[in-house]
Amino acid sequence: MQRILYLIQKEFRQILREPAFLGLIFGAPLIQVLILGFAITTDVKNVPMIMVDQDHSQMSNRLVEAFSNTKSFHFLGQVGTAKEAVHLLDRNKIKLAVVIPPHFERDLKTGRQPRVQLLADGVDGNSAGVALSYANQIALKLQKQWFPRLPHAPGTVKEIHLTGIEARMLYNPSLESVNNIVPGILAVLVMLITSFLTGMTIVREKEIGTLEQLMVTPIRRGELILGKVIPLIIVGLLLFTIAIISAGLVFGLWMKGNILTLYGMSLLFMMTTLGMGIFASTLARNQQQSMFITWFLGIFAILLSGFFIPIENMPRVIQWITYLNPVRYFMIVIREIYLKGTALHYLWKEALEMTVFGGAMLTMATLRFHKRVG
Amino acid sequence: MSQIQNSNTADTVPMEDDTMAVSVRELTRNFGKFTAVDRVSFSVQKGEIFGFLGANGAGKTTTIRMLCGLLLPTSGQASIAGFNVYTEAEQIKMHIGYMSQRFSLYEDLTVRENIQFYGGVYGLSRKQIKEKTRELLDYLNLWDQANKLTADLPLGWKQRMALSTTLLHDPQIIFLDEPTSGVDPVSRRNFWLLIYKLAARGKTVFVTTHYMDEAEYCNRLSIMRFGKIVEIGPPGELKAKYHARTMQDVFMNIEHREER
Repeated sequence: MQRILYLIQKEFRQILREPAFLGLIFGAPLIQVLILGFAITTDVKNVPMIMVDQDHSQMSNRLVEAFSNTKSFHFLGQVGTAKEAVHLLDRNKIKLAVVIPPHFERDLKTGRQPRVQLLADGVDGNSAGVALSYANQIALKLQKQWFPRLPHAPGTVKEIHLTGIEARMLYNPSLESVNNIVPGILAVLVMLITSFLTGMTIVREKEIGTLEQLMVTPIRRGELILGKVIPLIIVGLLLFTIAIISAGLVFGLWMKGNILTLYGMSLLFMMTTLGMGIFASTLARNQQQSMFITWFLGIFAILLSGFFIPIENMPRVIQWITYLNPVRYFMIVIREIYLKGTALHYLWKEALEMTVFGGAMLTMATLRFHKRVG
Repeated sequence: MSQIQNSNTADTVPMEDDTMAVSVRELTRNFGKFTAVDRVSFSVQKGEIFGFLGANGAGKTTTIRMLCGLLLPTSGQASIAGFNVYTEAEQIKMHIGYMSQRFSLYEDLTVRENIQFYGGVYGLSRKQIKEKTRELLDYLNLWDQANKLTADLPLGWKQRMALSTTLLHDPQIIFLDEPTSGVDPVSRRNFWLLIYKLAARGKTVFVTTHYMDEAEYCNRLSIMRFGKIVEIGPPGELKAKYHARTMQDVFMNIEHREER
């Protein structure tokens, strides 16, 4: 026990003395949450667009106004003809053009369904689709405002018809993507940092020769591993906390559930990542190799965790494989706790699975970790 | 075939001998098809300074690692301070100090912190660590540098400090693997003065070296070549046997003889 304390003390002295380490611990979570939180997003903002108003009526003016007053679109102004709009699209000046046909107001009032045309740049099909659905929502909103005031159309439903799109009423990407991505980033952060650092701090001692020196002392294998792992658990939780606070301050996203449940779950999850780091250290001769091994294992674990690719979208066989991926469970747990505030007793299955994987990983790694060289 | 015979002989011969610090019989280590140490036998008496000579790759480090419990032998027997290398590696570790070729202190810790850490790992009490720290700093004359990072010390001091930290738990036997490589002559001499002091206190010192002048300081020497011990004895006897003036001549003689 006393030996473990000396190891922990030594480990923290080294960490505190290394500015790069400190930067990693405090800077990395903040920067990752910031950059990835903003960058990995499926919602569309500031789509450059123009409008072509061929009606110049009160109602068409309202439509133009509505498009110019939204964060989703960056309204660049109006042009005279649809042809000019296409030209701008070709030259990549805009991503979207809205063409209001002549007699828009008259048709609308007489119930003849004016056809507003949307021209979208389909190179990035995903964004284009989202932009079109935003446009549709704006139109629908206006339409709802106009309906009660249309004097001679009681009971009949009239639509502004926007060509070539279907309205997705409930689709609200701007909310969903940040909410989904940020807890995911937290999970990835915990995983990468703990597995990388574990592998690297052990292999670093291998490189400089102090590990061999420790091996000729009467220290036990378990003590050595605990002395290495406990400081990293503390560092991991510290980093996790900083990331949680960053996410809250930057995105206003605070967890709905119990923070202690989340920390407990993180500890269960860390059993796997720490085990992975120790495992890598037993295979690697230098820090680069250790990084490569953790990276190689980590990238698969992240891709198959449902972080950005929903598991339901994967082929059946791959879906089965994801059951062997502990990150998958932590991803579920962290999202549930963050977004729904799910209580512990609904998450016991995930907890159990993480414990089993973590236990197996740690055992395997510990067995591979000998107090001998060669 | 030959290995089977080795283990038979090793099993039948009793190894325990109270006057022996190190006792090795037919010790062998293979790495795949390569035999790094080939049926090596010798023993080292308590209080002796025993030198291990040989070119790079002769098997010195592999032997030392087996004796320290860092590497399992392929066959043969070895006992250190009366403990078996196969079954009692952890007991061996309580009774030996080991200084590897590589500098093995934490350069990003201060001198004091290094002593404290290794003391703690060897299970010394807080009080003992304090005493040992004072003792070592006095002895190495390092008071001014006690709170400086180890990285900033001159190499010769680092080596002496490394040796001192391997002595924190007062081991009976000290294994030194090329302790003075890369150190200037004055520091080397200081280092050897330290070794003599240790031997005078009854410690057994097992040292590998490249330097032939250092070989002369040893009570007894063994010369290794391609994993085998080709010569063993006190420096004086070896010089007489080869009609050589220095150990350098003895060593060159042996290298030539073996090449033929």
